[in-house]
Amino acid sequence: MYWTVITIAWIAAWCAALIWFVVLVIRRLRSAQQKSAPWWERIGQLVIDGVALPVLLLNAGLTGAWVLLLAVGIALTLWTFAPRWIGSLVIPATLLGVAFNGFLLLRSYARGELWVTAYGLNVPAYGARFTHAVLPQACAFVAAGLWLGWRRLDRQSWLYRRVLLVPGRDGDPSRTRWGLVLLPLVGVLVELLGRTSWLGFTWWSAGTTLGVTVIALVLVIRTPAVAADLAIAGVILLGLYGVALAAWWPTHVPLPSPYTTDVRFVAVVVTSRGSAFLAGAEGLALVGLGLWLIPRAIDDRTRLLLRSAADLDLTARVARLTRSRADAVDTASAELRRLERDLHDGAQARLVALGMSLRAAERMIPNRPEAAAALVAEARETSLKVLDELRSLVRGICPPVLADRGLADAVRALALDTPLRIDVQVELDGRPPLPVETACYFAVAEVLANAVKHASARSVAIRVEHQDGALRISVVDDGIGGADPRHGSGLAGLERRLGTFDGVLAVSSPTGGPTIVAIEVPCALSSQKISTYSGMA
Amino acid sequence: MRVVLAEDLYLLRDGLTRLLRAHDIDVVAAVGSGTELLDELLAQRPDVAVIDVRLPPTFTDEGLRVALEARQQLPGLPVLVLSQYVEQLYARELLSDQGGGVGYLLKDRVFSDEAFVEALRTVAGGGTVLDPEVIAKLLRRRAAEEPITTLSPREREVLELMAQGRSNAAIAQRMFISEKAVSKHSTSIFGKLGLEPSDDDNRRVLAVLAYLDS
Repeated sequence: MYWTVITIAWIAAWCAALIWFVVLVIRRLRSAQQKSAPWWERIGQLVIDGVALPVLLLNAGLTGAWVLLLAVGIALTLWTFAPRWIGSLVIPATLLGVAFNGFLLLRSYARGELWVTAYGLNVPAYGARFTHAVLPQACAFVAAGLWLGWRRLDRQSWLYRRVLLVPGRDGDPSRTRWGLVLLPLVGVLVELLGRTSWLGFTWWSAGTTLGVTVIALVLVIRTPAVAADLAIAGVILLGLYGVALAAWWPTHVPLPSPYTTDVRFVAVVVTSRGSAFLAGAEGLALVGLGLWLIPRAIDDRTRLLLRSAADLDLTARVARLTRSRADAVDTASAELRRLERDLHDGAQARLVALGMSLRAAERMIPNRPEAAAALVAEARETSLKVLDELRSLVRGICPPVLADRGLADAVRALALDTPLRIDVQVELDGRPPLPVETACYFAVAEVLANAVKHASARSVAIRVEHQDGALRISVVDDGIGGADPRHGSGLAGLERRLGTFDGVLAVSSPTGGPTIVAIEVPCALSSQKISTYSGMA
Repeated sequence: MRVVLAEDLYLLRDGLTRLLRAHDIDVVAAVGSGTELLDELLAQRPDVAVIDVRLPPTFTDEGLRVALEARQQLPGLPVLVLSQYVEQLYARELLSDQGGGVGYLLKDRVFSDEAFVEALRTVAGGGTVLDPEVIAKLLRRRAAEEPITTLSPREREVLELMAQGRSNAAIAQRMFISEKAVSKHSTSIFGKLGLEPSDDDNRRVLAVLAYLDS
């Protein structure tokens, strides 16, 4: 009876756990967060989530069916109800697992035990079995943990923003990812170069291992770019070592060990031609891996050194175009917003008022014709104001004289409207494209406005010409100078606007004057002659 | 008075025709494009042409070009150019042949039909009428310079109205002063600006404009 109850309770507990899992799995599959992904990706994710973490936990030194069950339960529960937490927990859990396994190993060695337990395995403390079993397991554990952790990492979490993203600030965060992926490779190097403990434990080798690990971790987290470069270099060197080992075995044996006549390379104990060949193949594979990683993970600065001048020019140009395109889009949308606002607050509002006045006047006509007449007169005034506003709006978009006559006459008209003595010289055999004309027109207008407002200039000389495939405009005033494009003036805006056409704006404005503004925009002239009036200008 | 009218927008052309007819002005042709306009001007030889600057086929300054072209073929042909915006540059070009009989006004000015018709008659009579906005721009450019600064505010107002092409009588009416006071002001202005005084309205306008535009 007693055992029956225990058995039923046991079965019930198992069934409950099983149902609980199924519910969690279904919930997870249905969760809104996952719905955007295709079904196979959702299932794949579930397998990764549901299997990988328990395996990791198991690897972290804990064994037994109940641990597995517990691990799966905790993982699924957390993943269902607190996916953001679990994402941030994987990386710390992996690092903790490394520390815990390291502790287990150290304790076994310190006690002089012949069998050690680590990464879920129970193996002899020395010899090939340790090398073959524990090392790959450890590397796989670290790699899987970090990769998974990175995939599931909550991008809003403290860990991501404060620790992992810091080194990524100078460039793109994918470098951090590469750094993390390469960490296990650094670990392999550490195991092979820094430690002889699987041949015989010493405190010195343990200390070296710990020191190198800490340095590697710091490198990876603080400067993943450098870590990535170093790891690649290490992988290639290690591969070359393996190739050399295979080539010279057995006459010249590199790095002989004081403890054993065995020569080891990664997962191979070199005892024969065959195993030497295997080590050579491993070495070649490592060299190949290193070469494959170079273009993917190498530091940007190193990359720059390796590139040709033409490539660098292209890169700089792409960067400039990207920036100027973004500027152009911003400017255009800001312009549209301004237009919309101006029309809405100005012309539209006045037209509404106009309509209301006219309606009121209409009602008054039979009884109060004088008042109606006054209202109508007022309405006429309003209509004049609307026209005036629309006119200045149109001027702000594209001045009619520019559309009618082109840049030369538009600049002349501008000069006439500016209260300064202005000498205009234009040498153009055709018309630049209208967008270029418009940008240049507004640039000259802004520069002239600055000359009036800030420079206290008395006279200005404007020169417009087309030379060597570029439209060149210079505006020289006799004002007090001191204009600086970097400080707030409209000049920076002009520079951006002209940048859209690959144009440049240079300002020389020493204190005390004169101010010289030079604009150059590459463009072709259309053959259409400018019919400029040659009279009094 | 016989008028040829050029305006591409039907509503405005129709409105202007009616406005002119209401003031007993004979609109002998109302056209909608620059090419038609030149043909009509040469065929009809009107007393005055009312021309919109922007006309098909180019929709740029076609009207202005035709006006200048017609004045070359028919020297002294009075033209009143209307536009949605005024440019000093265009005013200069219209005035450059010194022939008189030129007007350049914002389209808005037709809202005050009496003033508009009066301007049209002035132009037809060989006078010069410029939009107040053009004159204001001209004055703004010279405002800080001697001897404009020596003018009294009253005198500047008279100068502005003179430059627009108004007669002494019109200035007097507008400023609510006597014609005698206006001619006193104008003598003083001409003295200060160092211009040759003239009784002829048009020559006076041209002198003032030439001075302002120098």
